[in-house]
Amino acid sequence: MTVATLSEPSLDAPRAGVLVRVPPTVAVSLLWLAVIVAWSLAPGLFTGHDPAAGTPTEKLLGPGTTHWFGTDDLGRDLFSRVVHGSASSVSSALVSVAIGVVAGSLIGLLAGFLEGWVDTVLARFVDVLLAIPGFLFAVIIVSALGFRTINAAIATGVVAVAVFARVMRAEVIKVRQATFVEASYLQGGSRWQILLTHILPNASRSIVPLAVLQFGVAILVIAGLAFLGYGDPPPASDWGRLVADGEKFPFAPWMIYAPAAVIVATVLALNRISRWLRRPA
Amino acid sequence: MTNSPHALPAPLLAAESLSVSYGRTQVVTDVSFALAEGSSLALIGESGSGKSTIARSVLRLLPRDLGRASGSVRLSGREILDLPERRFRPLRGRELGFIPQDPTSSLNQVRTVGSQALEATRLLDGERGRAERREIVLDTLARVGLDDPRRVFDSYPHQLSGGMLQRVLIGLTIIPEPRLIIADEPTSALDVTIQKRILDLLSGLREERGIGLLLITHDLAIAADRTEEIVVLKDGTVQEAGPTRQVFAAPASDYARKLHGDVPALNPDRYATLRDREIPAPASPKIEFRDVGKTFSVEGQELRAVADASFTVAPGTTHALVGESGSGKTTAVRLLLGLEQPTTGEVLVDGETISHRTHADLRDVRRHLQLVYQNPFTSLDATWRIRHIVREPLDRYRISSRRERDERVREALTAVGLDEGLLDRRPTNLSGGQRQRVAIARSLVLRPDVIVLDEPTSALDVSVQADILDVLLGLQAELGLTYVFVSHDLAIVRQIAHTVTVMNRGRIVEQGPVGRVLSRPFTDYTRELVAAVPGQELAGHADRVAERTA
Amino acid sequence: MRSSYPGFVLRRLGQAVVVVLLAYIATFVVISVLPGDPVSGILNNPENGFSPEQVDQIVSYYKLDQPVPVQLWESLSRFLTGDLGVSLRTNLPVAPMIGQVAASTFSLAGAALVIALVLAFAVGYGAHALPRWAGRDLLRAFPSLFLSVPNYVVGLLVLIFFSFQLHLFSVIDSETPVGTFFAALTLAIPVSAQLAEVIIANLDHESTQEYATVARSRGLTQAGLFVRHLLKPASLPVVTVIALIVGELLGGAVLTEQIFGRNGLGSLVQQSVTTQDTPVLQAVVSLSAVVFVVVNLVADLVYPLLDPRVRLTETRARATVPAPGRVPGPFAPSGLSTPKAG
Repeated sequence: MTVATLSEPSLDAPRAGVLVRVPPTVAVSLLWLAVIVAWSLAPGLFTGHDPAAGTPTEKLLGPGTTHWFGTDDLGRDLFSRVVHGSASSVSSALVSVAIGVVAGSLIGLLAGFLEGWVDTVLARFVDVLLAIPGFLFAVIIVSALGFRTINAAIATGVVAVAVFARVMRAEVIKVRQATFVEASYLQGGSRWQILLTHILPNASRSIVPLAVLQFGVAILVIAGLAFLGYGDPPPASDWGRLVADGEKFPFAPWMIYAPAAVIVATVLALNRISRWLRRPA
Repeated sequence: MTNSPHALPAPLLAAESLSVSYGRTQVVTDVSFALAEGSSLALIGESGSGKSTIARSVLRLLPRDLGRASGSVRLSGREILDLPERRFRPLRGRELGFIPQDPTSSLNQVRTVGSQALEATRLLDGERGRAERREIVLDTLARVGLDDPRRVFDSYPHQLSGGMLQRVLIGLTIIPEPRLIIADEPTSALDVTIQKRILDLLSGLREERGIGLLLITHDLAIAADRTEEIVVLKDGTVQEAGPTRQVFAAPASDYARKLHGDVPALNPDRYATLRDREIPAPASPKIEFRDVGKTFSVEGQELRAVADASFTVAPGTTHALVGESGSGKTTAVRLLLGLEQPTTGEVLVDGETISHRTHADLRDVRRHLQLVYQNPFTSLDATWRIRHIVREPLDRYRISSRRERDERVREALTAVGLDEGLLDRRPTNLSGGQRQRVAIARSLVLRPDVIVLDEPTSALDVSVQADILDVLLGLQAELGLTYVFVSHDLAIVRQIAHTVTVMNRGRIVEQGPVGRVLSRPFTDYTRELVAAVPGQELAGHADRVAERTA
Repeated sequence: MRSSYPGFVLRRLGQAVVVVLLAYIATFVVISVLPGDPVSGILNNPENGFSPEQVDQIVSYYKLDQPVPVQLWESLSRFLTGDLGVSLRTNLPVAPMIGQVAASTFSLAGAALVIALVLAFAVGYGAHALPRWAGRDLLRAFPSLFLSVPNYVVGLLVLIFFSFQLHLFSVIDSETPVGTFFAALTLAIPVSAQLAEVIIANLDHESTQEYATVARSRGLTQAGLFVRHLLKPASLPVVTVIALIVGELLGGAVLTEQIFGRNGLGSLVQQSVTTQDTPVLQAVVSLSAVVFVVVNLVADLVYPLLDPRVRLTETRARATVPAPGRVPGPFAPSGLSTPKAG
């Protein structure tokens, strides 16, 4: 009998608390992201130093009061370079996530909803995307498109399509079998109405935390491509490029520490927020 | 509240001022009860009453880092609540046996039943070889009524049915010969006839070995049949306690009285006036099944879900479709709604066939044919507001103006007894009973003639169930609705239905007026089903039902 | 046959072959069809010193004067016979070039997988089984942190600390066991975080299942419960995750080899990207896809044998029996359930 599978405990307890409680770590994460966004939008407000022009007499200085993160081999202020590099790093990650979410969700939605040969074809397509190791795939796409940050973003986005497609398809299949979908059908809803009004909103709920998580992954991957020199050429100061610059000066490790710390903090914040969004409602 | 008069010097189990909290919320407050050696006591209550929590704190199995119990629990006079874990652990299994609620999730899925049973034999005193322990297990499996102990021994849990698994679990519990068994809703996941067999087995074992029983249940009728004493709980506090017969004969507290009035088995005539109202003689049946058969092919094998089913339902009446799992009642409902197509025969509503027609073609029929699902937690889209949920049918059928639709939504909510303030809430912020009312309201807005009710109360507490039944019967009397009521619970059927069809393994076993079928069943199966309804011992109303002509 | 194990094996094998072929085509399309014409760029660049005869030879070998589909067909049929083509940079056959460096990458990835598993199980089990005072909650923060640190930053830190400061190994000769260990550690850290997350989540899930409570009610100790009951169901899903992670190890090798100055597939990819040596790129990427597909295939085939719950027949049966909440109507055309005689 089906009765007891959903049997009793707490079925009748009304859910209290409409207000969302934000745990402290999530608040800190959100705050940090706000700072990063501000850096991207108006870097000039945060630093007086020019990110591109160096003072040769001040080269390779350790972190201090005038140069918070120190200076590089050309005497440029690292803090300023990090701040001015944010816009490129953040916007490229955004582009990448947008490609992944839009294309991936569409593929997953259609595959899960239409079933049959459409599903089979799309499933093989996704299998292929998954079969080529992500980073390698991104590398060959960038090399085909040309070494620019925007192309690195596109490559990262294409690689992410498979992830979103898989999750979306699984969610659509799950939601499609939900009782409320059948109920809506019995109330005279057509399949496209049901797709748009019931299936899509419910299935997207798990896409949002995944997109936040992917934002962090995209930052890492794009920085990795920049580290290999597949991003915008200097004097651009993408975070990954800054770490690569530091590689040549192991005796001045702050050149690595500063941009690396910013990358880690940003990705950590995104992971924390994603986890919080994924919590059971 | 005082404990039982039988609890002399050192009761087997005695709880005094037991309080339990999860984090900062206190869920059990100041509960006391006592259970004499070899006797039985029921902790009964609805969800949130704290009854399972009490069971778990006696076994000290509250979630780690979260649950905290205070007060006193004595086992044969020995305080067990503050024993160090190292010294308490040997008592588990050996002194205190535990039978869980859902047998399908209570065994490790990736290990065989036998390997888990051998674990239980380790608790026996004395050194024993593997062969000897295996013999003990096989004997025990045979004792709990499993026909082929060897096969069960070598099976994985997912290869056995729920009833078999519950027998296994009972077997594992009695192997170390405990003095007290704590059974947490041991049968609520099982079919009625199996429920009766499991409870009979448990009672038999108790008598045979003099084991005490602490039975946790939401089902007053089971408590009435199976225990000597009873403790009624609500919101973690004791409402009433005493010998079972006394509590049933003359409930002293308001809550126990209300509960008593809400249990269908104890109140077969609760809705007699609404049910037995004047119904105009029908010109033609509202619903008709004509030799309907439905075969599914699974794995190349033909599976007959429904075979040669014929019955009719008169307008304005309630027809109950009764059966256990696998009886075909769900398939019958899906055929009635046009969600499945019959392999043979046809289904008619208002003389019009609904079989083999397209979705678009059925729109007009479905408008007058509504369904209320069993589980209001899955049948409402959690991302929608109540206003939109109830309005969805009106929107889909583009009925009148927007303003008028909102008006009709409000009317429907009022009809099911819900406050307008809920309009902008989402289902997650409602209780189970409120959600089911929303689902009923949704089925009403189109002003249908027929509502199919698929176990509409089985996911809900008894008192909530009674409220929902009140609403349904009131609406029927007022609007002349025809109900098809799918249920496994004969007690409810007796309360509200006019005619009944009993199904078993896809076939109709028996049908006719409720009074006749339930009091003078023609077939063995129906007889077994009727006998399995708990609470008859104390109800004593069975005769009256027979007198009522349907 | 549809639901039997041999049938399942055959079906999965067929899928695997299709996926490998499609992956080859996808790679070809990305490399040859996307904007830019690397091949003629290289051939016509006087710096590369190709004689006109060599250019003609290469053009006719790769059918570069023919339409793209013909080139693809040529390339694909060579791939199927095991011929990976000729490098544009060195003018040598690609297969031996890959053979020379593949061992280095596979030993790196293999070592990384072992390290990742050890780390993940240690962290995962510790984060579940340790008492709170012994740092359980601290361990739980590890996966998140490891996932957030870029692979190359870990590599640089390892380099700065263990090579430049402690002189445990040298970048100039990084193929030594010690050098391989540290490179593998670098590669393993983000991967181990993913595995550890899976293990922690599984253990948490399993330990709150009813069977765990029931087992404890039978007098099992926490340790006994852990070893006898939770370990197996919580570890099984790792098999599937390992398969997915192999791809990441191969991809991550590009960065790790670059940092540690190792000569492997990753650095070969990098060289080929810089010199636009498309046949080598095509070969390495396809080979990685083959490795990934094979490992996944093995995982898929082995899993039903490890987990008694996955009985192929029964899962199928369950999926086809109707239940409330399935909508056959709008999604499967009702033609499917037309009445049969009988």
